[in-house]
Amino acid sequence: MTDADTATATATTDTGGSGTAGGRTGAATRPTRPGPLTGLLAVAVPLLVVVAVTTDRFLTVDNARAIVASAAFVGITAIGATLVMIAGSAVSLATSQTATVVAMVFLATQRLGLATAVLIAIACGVALSAAQGAAVGFGQANPIVLTIAAGFAIGGAATWFSGGTPVYPANRAFELLNATPLGLPLAVYVLLVVTVLAQWTLRRTTAGRQMYLIGENRAAAHAAGLPVGRVIVIAWAFFGACTGLTGMFLASFNTSATVNLGGTLTLDAIAAVLVGGTAIAGGRGSALHTLGGAVLISVISDVLLLRGYSTGVQTLVKGALVLAVVVIVHLRSTRGAR
Amino acid sequence: MFRTRTPRTRTSRANTLRTRTLRTGLAASALGSALLVAACGGEAGTSSGTDGSAPLAGKTVALLGYGDSNPWGAYFNDVFADELASTGVEITDMTTMDPGTQVQKFNQAVAQQPDLIVVSILDTQAMVVPIQKAKSAGVPVLAFDGPPDPAVADDVLSVLSDNEKLGEYAAENIIEGLQAQGRDSGKIIVLTGTKSMLVTQHRMRGFNRVLANAPQYEVIDEQDANWDPQLSGTIAQQLLAKYGRDGVQAAYGMADYMALPIIQAAKQAGIPVGGEDGLIVTGSNCFRAGIESIRAGELYGTATEDPGTIAVQTADYVVRYLTGQNPPQSEIVQEERITAENVDEFAEQCSHV
Repeated sequence: MTDADTATATATTDTGGSGTAGGRTGAATRPTRPGPLTGLLAVAVPLLVVVAVTTDRFLTVDNARAIVASAAFVGITAIGATLVMIAGSAVSLATSQTATVVAMVFLATQRLGLATAVLIAIACGVALSAAQGAAVGFGQANPIVLTIAAGFAIGGAATWFSGGTPVYPANRAFELLNATPLGLPLAVYVLLVVTVLAQWTLRRTTAGRQMYLIGENRAAAHAAGLPVGRVIVIAWAFFGACTGLTGMFLASFNTSATVNLGGTLTLDAIAAVLVGGTAIAGGRGSALHTLGGAVLISVISDVLLLRGYSTGVQTLVKGALVLAVVVIVHLRSTRGAR
Repeated sequence: MFRTRTPRTRTSRANTLRTRTLRTGLAASALGSALLVAACGGEAGTSSGTDGSAPLAGKTVALLGYGDSNPWGAYFNDVFADELASTGVEITDMTTMDPGTQVQKFNQAVAQQPDLIVVSILDTQAMVVPIQKAKSAGVPVLAFDGPPDPAVADDVLSVLSDNEKLGEYAAENIIEGLQAQGRDSGKIIVLTGTKSMLVTQHRMRGFNRVLANAPQYEVIDEQDANWDPQLSGTIAQQLLAKYGRDGVQAAYGMADYMALPIIQAAKQAGIPVGGEDGLIVTGSNCFRAGIESIRAGELYGTATEDPGTIAVQTADYVVRYLTGQNPPQSEIVQEERITAENVDEFAEQCSHV
């Protein structure tokens, strides 16, 4: 289903159409042929389908609901992280801490009303991430080093302010976020909306198209006069809004927020983006593919659980899958550069 | 919070960074800090109650408890410090949530030769050799909450949670809840803490021992949720889908913050919780959110193992040991089962985390 070649061609066609794609036009007109990632998916997806349909209770409505529900929290964050990665900012290693702080703020401000708490929480997520984006975009900070430091700072501040104790809400208005319209958690609908919004931003807005160009070659984009810093901040701000949404859903699901609420969200989101085929070096990828990556990881975890494998095996398989995709995408990028 | 050596080290580093080059500054800072610590020796920490009336003035304790990033640990650390504040015991805060860091800090603590190392062991096997080193160096070690590896159990003093009892209480909650619903049989899912930890193993030992007496209720799945609330919710969603709405009648989340995501997952899957025919869910080691959930009729029950109680008993043990009262080598904290029947009795005790 997901194919990074197709993603790149599509993106390039769109951006080329706007006349801003520059050097990527060549790639758009190049005859498409199956790449290594396509080959991997051509083998892996049918294999997964066979394993899935032969797994007892996989093809049930309840299981389908569980798969999309378990993909929602990570998926929302991963969609935002896709823009950051496409824009050439690699990954954020402060995602869990940001989501945790947002969750605490969201619950702590419940007394102000649900709508106000939501706005404050999203603003908090945007501010924390956009500040990091500004350092990357305008200050040319190394995003890995920066976000490691930011993760320590945000996590430390959360521990300091909360004293390490859980944050509890003043009322239960937040439970609206645990609603299940038409039998699906609200977070699933938000995931779909965020995906559409991200995809539209990437394909139909100037800033989105410029993210590809900046991720492909930041120096060239800068030389061409593109607003590199501003576009990177936009990508990070979008990512912050997504992380904020995830933080709110996490808080609502757990009814309280502790310093370690974010858990493995950072690495899970990165895994979903990478499995979706987005190039870690930037310039390639799409929100739809990340959605596919998040669901694919959820399906694999689900199949392994249904077949009786432990959570340790699930983590192992997820790690191996990400490693395989990263290696293959890297090999393809290397060949393409020759 | 504890006042420790940290402020002095920060001052030293800040002064040193004013030198011309960063490299020279860092080197001088490290050297300065080392010399400072060496020169000050046991006086580098902070004394509590430095007036002459403090009975344990001059005694030193290195605390290698859970870090403040853990809610349980944060409250334990506060209560432990408060309880010892008037005794004059000097506490060096070396808390962490990282097993590897704990080993390093433990070795540092041994080198500082405190009168007692108080530790909550994060990795029982990794701590075997450090504990043996402490014994060789003549530094006594007091473990609290979870037990040490059996290989060094005789070398360690301990104030332990009764984890087997906590498991037993969880099983009793489930059996009682299912029987109250009139069920002659029932399927149970279990989300455990990290399975490699003795705490987890002991709770499951108690849980399985009690359930063995009620074979009509059967554990059909047991998954390692690694003390992670987010992972607990995800696994619960998948297990409830795996076994279907009628395939699971009860669930055990090994901590309240793991049991509550089970409840939320069930509600989102359209499965009723509690009541006359809903899912029976139990936790362990009570949290305020768990108490509220019991009152709401969703969480059937939990058990104590609250950090305040064990902190008070651990501090009391420290005082008895340092004043030469020769307390028993190991003490067990009494745990209590909590259900809707007695939730008000334990609400305050469980409301700090």
